[in-house]
Amino acid sequence: MDNLETLIQEYLQREAQAKTRRHFIKNCASGLGGLALSSIFMGCDPLSTQKKKAKITFSERDLNPLATLAPPLSPKVKSVIYLHMAGAPSQLEMFDYKPVLQKLHGKDCPQSLLEGRKFAFIKGTPKLLGPQAEFKQEGESGNWVSNFLPHFKKVVDEVAFVKAVHTDQFNHGPAQLFMHTGSARLGRPSIGAWATYGLGSENQNLPGFVVLTSGGNTPDAGKSVWGSGFLPSVYQGVQCRSKGDPVLYIEDPDGISRNLKKSTIDAINKINKEEYAKYADPEILARINQYEMAYRMQIAVPEVMNINNEPENIKQMYGVEPGKESFANNCLLARKLVEDGVRFVQLFDWGWDTHGNIREGSIDLGLRNKCREIDRPITALILDLKQRGLLDETLIVWGGEFGRTPMQENRGNKKMAYLGRDHHGDAFTMWMAGGGIKKGASHGQTDEIGFSGVEGQVSVHDIHATILHLLGFNHEEFTFDFQGRPFRLTDVEGEIIKDILA
Amino acid sequence: MSSLYLILYVSYIMKKKFKKIIPFLGLLLLLTIITSCSSSSEKIDFSTQIKPILNNKCITCHGGVKKNGGFSVLFKEEALANTKSGKPAIIPGNASESEFIKRLHEEDPELRMPYEKPKLSDEEIDLLTRWIDQGAEWGNHWAYSLPEKVDVPAFTQEAGFDINTATPFIQNNIDNFIAARLKSEKLTPNSPAENNIISRRVALDLTGLPPDQKLHQAFLSGEISYENLVDSLLSKKEYGEKWASWWLDMARYSDSKGYEKDQGRSIYQYRDWVIKALNKDMPFDEFTITQLAGDLLPDPSIDQLIATAFHRNTMNNDEGGTDDEEYRIAAVIDRVNTTFEVWQSTAIGCVQCHGHPYDPFKHEEYYKLMAFFNNTRDEDMPSEAPVLKFYSPEEEQKITQINDWIHKYGDQTVAEQYKKFIRYAEPVHNAHHLKNIQNGAYDDHASTVLWDKGSCKFENIAAEGATTLLLKHRSAIDGTTITFKKNNAEGEVLAQTTINKTRGSYILKIPFKPVDGRFDLYIETNNNSVAKEVNVINLYWVALLQDLPGKDQNGYAAINKTLTNILNTNTPTVPIMVENPAFMKRTTQVFERGNWLTKTDTVQPETPKTLNPWEAEWPKNRLGLSKWLVSKKNPLTARTMVNRVWHQIFGRGFVASIEDIGSQSDAPSHPALLDWLALRFMNEHNWSIKALVKEIVMSGTYRQSSESNAELYQKDPHNDLYVRGPRIRLSAEQIRDQALAVADLLSPKMYGPGVMPPQPEGVWQTVYSGEKWIESKGEDRYRRAVYTYMKRTSPYPSFITFDGGSREVCLIRRTVTNTPLQALVTLNDPVFLEAALALAKNQQLATNVDQSIANIYEKATYTKITPAKLAALKNLYNNAYDEFKNDEETTAKPFFHLKKKPSTELAALTIVANAIMNLDEFLSKA
Repeated sequence: MDNLETLIQEYLQREAQAKTRRHFIKNCASGLGGLALSSIFMGCDPLSTQKKKAKITFSERDLNPLATLAPPLSPKVKSVIYLHMAGAPSQLEMFDYKPVLQKLHGKDCPQSLLEGRKFAFIKGTPKLLGPQAEFKQEGESGNWVSNFLPHFKKVVDEVAFVKAVHTDQFNHGPAQLFMHTGSARLGRPSIGAWATYGLGSENQNLPGFVVLTSGGNTPDAGKSVWGSGFLPSVYQGVQCRSKGDPVLYIEDPDGISRNLKKSTIDAINKINKEEYAKYADPEILARINQYEMAYRMQIAVPEVMNINNEPENIKQMYGVEPGKESFANNCLLARKLVEDGVRFVQLFDWGWDTHGNIREGSIDLGLRNKCREIDRPITALILDLKQRGLLDETLIVWGGEFGRTPMQENRGNKKMAYLGRDHHGDAFTMWMAGGGIKKGASHGQTDEIGFSGVEGQVSVHDIHATILHLLGFNHEEFTFDFQGRPFRLTDVEGEIIKDILA
Repeated sequence: MSSLYLILYVSYIMKKKFKKIIPFLGLLLLLTIITSCSSSSEKIDFSTQIKPILNNKCITCHGGVKKNGGFSVLFKEEALANTKSGKPAIIPGNASESEFIKRLHEEDPELRMPYEKPKLSDEEIDLLTRWIDQGAEWGNHWAYSLPEKVDVPAFTQEAGFDINTATPFIQNNIDNFIAARLKSEKLTPNSPAENNIISRRVALDLTGLPPDQKLHQAFLSGEISYENLVDSLLSKKEYGEKWASWWLDMARYSDSKGYEKDQGRSIYQYRDWVIKALNKDMPFDEFTITQLAGDLLPDPSIDQLIATAFHRNTMNNDEGGTDDEEYRIAAVIDRVNTTFEVWQSTAIGCVQCHGHPYDPFKHEEYYKLMAFFNNTRDEDMPSEAPVLKFYSPEEEQKITQINDWIHKYGDQTVAEQYKKFIRYAEPVHNAHHLKNIQNGAYDDHASTVLWDKGSCKFENIAAEGATTLLLKHRSAIDGTTITFKKNNAEGEVLAQTTINKTRGSYILKIPFKPVDGRFDLYIETNNNSVAKEVNVINLYWVALLQDLPGKDQNGYAAINKTLTNILNTNTPTVPIMVENPAFMKRTTQVFERGNWLTKTDTVQPETPKTLNPWEAEWPKNRLGLSKWLVSKKNPLTARTMVNRVWHQIFGRGFVASIEDIGSQSDAPSHPALLDWLALRFMNEHNWSIKALVKEIVMSGTYRQSSESNAELYQKDPHNDLYVRGPRIRLSAEQIRDQALAVADLLSPKMYGPGVMPPQPEGVWQTVYSGEKWIESKGEDRYRRAVYTYMKRTSPYPSFITFDGGSREVCLIRRTVTNTPLQALVTLNDPVFLEAALALAKNQQLATNVDQSIANIYEKATYTKITPAKLAALKNLYNNAYDEFKNDEETTAKPFFHLKKKPSTELAALTIVANAIMNLDEFLSKA
């Protein structure tokens, strides 16, 4: 792996010299043609907002698509940890305290709320369901937190709540897609893919965008929620698994030592360099680079994914169970990953769909258990990042794909076995913490029963605009051309939620 | 021809004829040119000079999306119309009075345009000013004008263009166009590629595989010519398998339905249809019409019906609680968008919410297009109805009996009705349309359940003289009376029967009293033997048909029973397109800002005005639309195809943005060649894709060597000018297929359900689905990639890593990436390990390691090994050998996918084979 650096240096130098000449060809010699770019590098310059894209030349990025890029604006954070509670947690049992709903418990839901409305499962006239948790104002901020989250209240002053988020999707698959790609239909890049595309990775031995799942299932919408959509596939989330290879094919096959793998890659790259001399195709240099990175990843990924070596007090703090797939393990892993420079860490925890049809899916018993599973790890994550000085350069986002109804679910027009709430997209709570976030803030309000937002309503696009802003992007100018038009994460909408910014 | 060109042309003629007076003429011409250039009388061309300025500087605020100040420059009539101020901004012939121009000169930043953006250059303002003074004529963008006849540039030797290099370069007319451009750039083409290289290149391009050894050797030995080689490759069945992957990306073909549940879908017969159609070189116009409207052709064949699955590759949402109508519309929208992306290189999807931001398509035109697709029977049902049933030969015999019976005793209409109903069970009224459900509920996505004293109704349907009612249902309870009444509970009884326990779902045939005109079909159930809220029936659909004729004939009872049995036969199926009968037609309305719940004006099927006119003899349905697309008057279809086929072979199109040919796309690198090929594709090749492909690969342009050096490479870094042959990384499919092919593992088996080659444990983890990845056995492990099971939410890992799509939406172009995860696949994926072992084993010689390595290398790359490469690989072999030798006890340990390590020699050779299969030259076509 000796002279690759030199080769690349030489290459870039020649490239700079040649630029002038090409510029001439482009502007003068060909009134019609111009030197449009080969498909390989089409649109690889995320900062180009001009329609006259494509005229970029090779750069370090072409040799290494994950090379670090500075964002166009001044960023507040370097990394994002996004905690998604798949299935949609109930805001009414966690953060959005509604005493009036308690008083109206068991009453028929007013017709005015039902007219012309569609719900996923509620039929006819459902009853209102009072909060099934007890609430207190916590910390200096005095923000409300329920007794389902006894640890979280200790860090409540670190976070900023957004209490009137709304989405127009009320089914899991499309709503998750919307929350992560800005569109309810398949085919768009996820937030993490956009971030990695725009910023590259700080660590060249690890993927730039890592996904960790828990709860026994992947999200309803499948891998598309961390897909790269129309962006190059190198920017899609890499799922690191707790069982089997942490990354697909990362482990050497049986019978192959590390040394032998090194010899193999040395031989491959030696021959590839000879090939480069014959064809002068920079793709070959890029491939040489990628093989070296693959070799390094084979060591770095299992290392970072191993939590056994963490000190005992840290393990206890998170409540990890090494060897298992758990949300606690994933929170600890998330810290390790951002500590090592991974750009975007996406956690999905499955099992928050509390319809009341089964015990685990009940709003009192099932939800309390789910809260217990995340309460300690999330608190630990915030404190751990803080004690390492990483909280200021990391953004933590917490939420589900929508919220839940103030009404009790009555699926098939029958009484359900347990207490449950149906899907509800009109108003639900999310929170953010970390760099650039106003600590202890609370933005937006819902009506007395928590059905609709009445103040500070925030759309999914606004959440995205805010995340991109904190990473150093103007969401309106961060585009990629596909199918003949520029696409944005925020489509044609999105406003930064200024109230929660420090 | 512009005046400048005219002058140059005249000068050229003059030069030839009057050599002696050149000095004088030269002076004269120079003067003419100077005056001509500075004169404001030179005609401004809208498309090339004005439209780019409008698109880049004005259209964001004054176009299809925003019309600030009531002013838009997208269409002529808009640009010349009164703005909010009450006056037009552009006054043709009078730039100085035009507000449009005044605002460009304005000093006040609040008034100066472009608003809050840099001022236009003097040159730009001058162009716009002269354009308005000349009358502000609007032109059509080249992409929307028909390709015009192009003369092939004559090839002449001139200074700076080396004839010795050029002579072997000119193989067909394509090369004249390429050479003309190279000449103007003062570049010379590369020499032809060596025979072994071109043989591998062309085989990979035509069949997706390296050439088989027999053919390869015949070509190398000179036994067959290059053209023979090309013809042989084009006639191989592997040709269709290779090019199918390209088409299936656009068709968004997948073996699963997509969305949350993403359950399996049986639609592989469509994939097989594509392979067959490509192999028999079905002309592209027929290929188009069959896929878009095969069901509307007269008496369509089974194959023509299968082809319509093209547009049934849209996703189907089975998630609990989702609205079928919402996802039906999503599918229809996807069909409109896909049709325009595939055939017209146009992102019509923009127009769904607003006018096109920069291309001349209007908001309403989108819904007029949608009207063509909005009348098919599919309704986002979990059953994927309508599906074409494939009957066994015995069942087909019975069907013939039924058809014969009907022909004998009934009329043509009844015969047609039954023929279709037996094939695909349409038209039916699906349970999700039932209204006013009392004592029952719509059972999410499947059926409507009714209890004792249950009732519901289908509103506003027509019976069209039907005398038989078919009821698809299921029940776990005996003795329920089901009654069908006209309009309501008090209405006339139209049909009645008793429902008993069924095994699974069952289609029951009941006599039905004819009803005229439109009515509500009221349904009630009674069974007082069951408790409250017990389901007595699950109702899936109701169909109203004519009765089977010949009631009073001998054998009626038997044939009636055969019919019921056939209708209830479970068979393999494929989803197809079936048009609504007249009495079930939907109206299409414009959605305000693309929101399907906010419907406004009703529209009729119509194609966009900017494109070719509609011809009166075409029916206003999908059939007419498909004819419109492949009309020789359509400016985009042939160009689109030529551009994309060229892209498949050279890795770039003439228009680099192969998904978009329009006013915002890159200008073509070789516009004349694009049009020449487009016209030739239509008029001379009669839409033959094989002929087009052959013409391209026969060219000297294609046959050049792709070798280069650092200095030369810089002269045409992206090979836009074709100064060398194409050198491109292979596709996901090719990488798998090639590995299996050189290891002699590849199965030649064609067609059939998707297969499941090895993939790591736990990759499939889908919510609410018991479906599992069950590793295929026997030769199905080694099938070509095109037969691998495609699941949208969890695509096959090695394919997605090598940039294969997930097939959720139409994909015109795969972005080619170069990532470390790709290295991990080819280094460590068991599929590639198995191939490495087989390759090593097949080429292993007992005595000579060097020769074994050389053989493996040549078998994989079709190139003789160089001493330096051999040295590097021998070194690797020695390292591996020493390591394995020193650790003899590892022999009993697993090696790669094997339980026990093979001999030390073979193990070491396998390591070498693995390295060879990771070389850039192996993963690329050179």
